[in-house]
Amino acid sequence: MDKKKKTGIGKLLEIKGMGSSLTAFAGLIVIYFVFGMIDHKVFSAQNNLNLLRSMSKYLLIGIGQSYVMITGNIDLSIGSVVGMGTMISATLMSHGVPTLPAILVTAVAAVVVGILNGFLVGKFKLPPFIATLGTMFVTRGIAFIVNGNRNTDNVASGIGKEAADRFQKFFYYGKTFGVYNTFWIALITFIIFFFILSKTRSGRHIYAIGSNVDAARLSGVDVVKTTIKAYVVSAICSTIVGLILAAQAGMGNMDAGNMYEMYGVAAGVIGGVSPLGGAGLLLGTFGGAGVWQVLENGLNMIGAQIGLQRIVIGVIVVMAVLLDVVIRNGSRTSGLGKKAG
Amino acid sequence: MGNVIVEMEHISKAFSGVQALDDVRLELHEGEVMALLGENGAGKSTLVKILSGVYTRDAGTVRIFGKEYGNLTPNSAREAGVAIIHQELNMCRDLTVCENMFLGREIKGRIALNNAKMEEEAQHYLDELGVDISPRQVVGTLPVSKQQMIEIAKALSIHAKILIMDEPTSALTSKEIEELFRIVRRLKESGCGIIYISHRLEELEHIADSVTIMRDGKFITTGAYKDFTMDTIIEHMVGREIKERFPRVECELGEKVFEVKNLNAGRLVRDINFSLYKGEIVGFAGLMGAGRTETTRAIFGVDPKSSGEILLEGKPIRINSPLDAIRAGIVLAPEDRKKDGLCTKLTIRQNIALPNLDTIGGKSGVLNRAREDELCERAVKELSIKTPSVERDAATLSGGNQQKVVVGKWLVRDSKVVMFDEPTRGIDVGAKVEIYHLMNELKKNGIAVMFVSSELPEVLGIADRIIVMCDGRITGELDARKTTQNEIMRYATMFENKLGKAGSSTEVNDHG
Ligand SMILES: Nc1ncnc2c1ncn2[C@@H]1O[C@H](COP(=O)(O)OP(=O)(O)OP(=O)(O)O)[C@@H](O)[C@H]1O
Ligand SMILES: [Mg+2]
Repeated sequence: MDKKKKTGIGKLLEIKGMGSSLTAFAGLIVIYFVFGMIDHKVFSAQNNLNLLRSMSKYLLIGIGQSYVMITGNIDLSIGSVVGMGTMISATLMSHGVPTLPAILVTAVAAVVVGILNGFLVGKFKLPPFIATLGTMFVTRGIAFIVNGNRNTDNVASGIGKEAADRFQKFFYYGKTFGVYNTFWIALITFIIFFFILSKTRSGRHIYAIGSNVDAARLSGVDVVKTTIKAYVVSAICSTIVGLILAAQAGMGNMDAGNMYEMYGVAAGVIGGVSPLGGAGLLLGTFGGAGVWQVLENGLNMIGAQIGLQRIVIGVIVVMAVLLDVVIRNGSRTSGLGKKAG
Repeated sequence: MGNVIVEMEHISKAFSGVQALDDVRLELHEGEVMALLGENGAGKSTLVKILSGVYTRDAGTVRIFGKEYGNLTPNSAREAGVAIIHQELNMCRDLTVCENMFLGREIKGRIALNNAKMEEEAQHYLDELGVDISPRQVVGTLPVSKQQMIEIAKALSIHAKILIMDEPTSALTSKEIEELFRIVRRLKESGCGIIYISHRLEELEHIADSVTIMRDGKFITTGAYKDFTMDTIIEHMVGREIKERFPRVECELGEKVFEVKNLNAGRLVRDINFSLYKGEIVGFAGLMGAGRTETTRAIFGVDPKSSGEILLEGKPIRINSPLDAIRAGIVLAPEDRKKDGLCTKLTIRQNIALPNLDTIGGKSGVLNRAREDELCERAVKELSIKTPSVERDAATLSGGNQQKVVVGKWLVRDSKVVMFDEPTRGIDVGAKVEIYHLMNELKKNGIAVMFVSSELPEVLGIADRIIVMCDGRITGELDARKTTQNEIMRYATMFENKLGKAGSSTEVNDHG
């Protein structure tokens, strides 16, 4: 009501969801330093570069899944779409189709899946869990079939050594300004989708349908279109990751992207995106992806077994959300613990 | 009056920065109906939520039947004999009436739940209320009024000695209200104390023994109802004098803007014909379930139409979705704010902006934050929405202020036809007048205004023309200046005679 001119952090914190986002970043820094203390190699320049690069995959996945979660839905097909993207692009390239057309075809396939998901959920009101479970199997099936149920040959065998090199460098091995391209790709994608979500009409519609579909519809929001948009964003992000994986391996792996949809959920949720919809910032997802990657990296560096890694990560996800819930409930019934009288 | 059964003293409560209650007291006696009054956001709901264990207080003492209670929880409050009917209905929409009534205190057989017994009991209390609901019906399929009655039945079934009703009548028809009052009186005779919160001040004379008035989280005054006049009550509530409760402006009747021809949509919208003209407000009266809400929803494109024509400025238009309607310049502020009106998880600003995003962003779809802030500021100011910041979640607003957001978001855009469904439900006297002023403003600007309302004094006081509906049909069209409540009620109860004879009025109920 009254225009209070708040400065700096106060104003920042007024933005809804900023608290959770900043908490994720704080967690990220703490975890980073804790592991760094245990093993100084964590602080090494090369490790930092690797961190940024592998974080990029989680960030991209997280962006897609966050979009969908903010609409109050979920996308289980992400991992399979990653796999499909890897396989389609690698198959085409290894059969001699030039890089650009191969990427284009891959993107089209992904968008089709996104639209399909959006239609099933938005138009036909299928529970998103079921709809995307279906597309999850179908797209993984496609990933298997495109190259006749086997991983592809080296892409260089089709498009030649030089072109393959360029492709691999562009998505994975090359650096710009001293940082791996993968990170720049993720960052640019992040900035674009961050802008769309926070500053455009479509973004606002995504929050609205996640908060109250009926009220949104009555306010003139096209629910079907908005749902489709969210799923298409998810599919596009997955495809980029698919290409990154293809570039990393230089070939297509049928199982690529397995479980990635869940990593996306984790990144978003750690950063304060509500799986129930209507709330969360992509900035939080950025922090969440960071937390996830720093944890994985740190546990690797100190030589923790894979089983232990899984357990720690599982605990962190639940803790992050628990913390959020406790904080939120605390403010709702403030004075809960205080003794009356 | 009997013994003191509830004593609340020096109660304070703050929500992250908002002092909702500040040193408030309240005293309730056996066999007393106390009206708890105050503007939207005065803290009424917060106070009773403390008594019923929903919120914990920051300071103050609570004594129930002489026993002092520390922190009450919903369960300990229930054991102490307190039952509350919340302002915002809190029911599981997918469960049945019976399941909702016994939620958390299900009756168990030896192994499984004893459904038969629960249904029997549920039926018993529903019968006592005289409502025609089966315990097996799914709550989500029932209209708000029926859901309200279920809450009341639930309170009866736990044999509460202290019954709190937070705006129980805001969604009820006069017949149902009559029924409710009968029950309230009976409970009172049996020694219950009742705290009654309502913005329908006309009701008080029928049931209130005493009043307690709050303003801005503070206790203002209390006393026997007969010692107050309506004017002093209002003055205490709003802290200033309200000259006219139903301000009407006279405008010259202009050309026809909007016309609905032979509209059919389901059982509750049958052969609807009406027109709206510039410079007038049309009120839709009728009993709950008369099809008024359904009519507005069909026009607005929420529910499918089976036939009919809609003409805007003489030209037929197609409306298949709310988006079509809004683009054509027809808007609807819906009735059920929790379900259809508000995105509670979004901020107040985002809620107000939501239907206006087309004007806030250009073609590119990029939102202009300055323009958005300006729109919201206007809505907040014009409707005096009470909040420390528009960046708060809509859920943190008091009930009445939520309603203002639902209405306000439509008023900041240019429309040709504005439909309101129960626009003043749960709004305090002062704010009601503000909404009337806004409706009048629209009328003066040549916008066709129609509103659905179950409050007859409001329909009579604000509308120029009244259309009465009964059971999905329009049964009468009246000049508001010449008609009476009785006449409206006669048309509102003109049920079709299934034997083929012309409709006859059955029972006429009016009050207030
Ligand atoms: N959960 C909450 N979080 C933050 N603020 C709240 C919360 N609940 C209520 N408030 C604030 O406390 C104040 C009192 O609210 P309350 O709901 O008690 O008002 P009320 O008198 O019942 O109004 P109404 O007639 O509109 O229902 C308001 O300013 C409201 O915004
Ligand atoms: Mg209230």
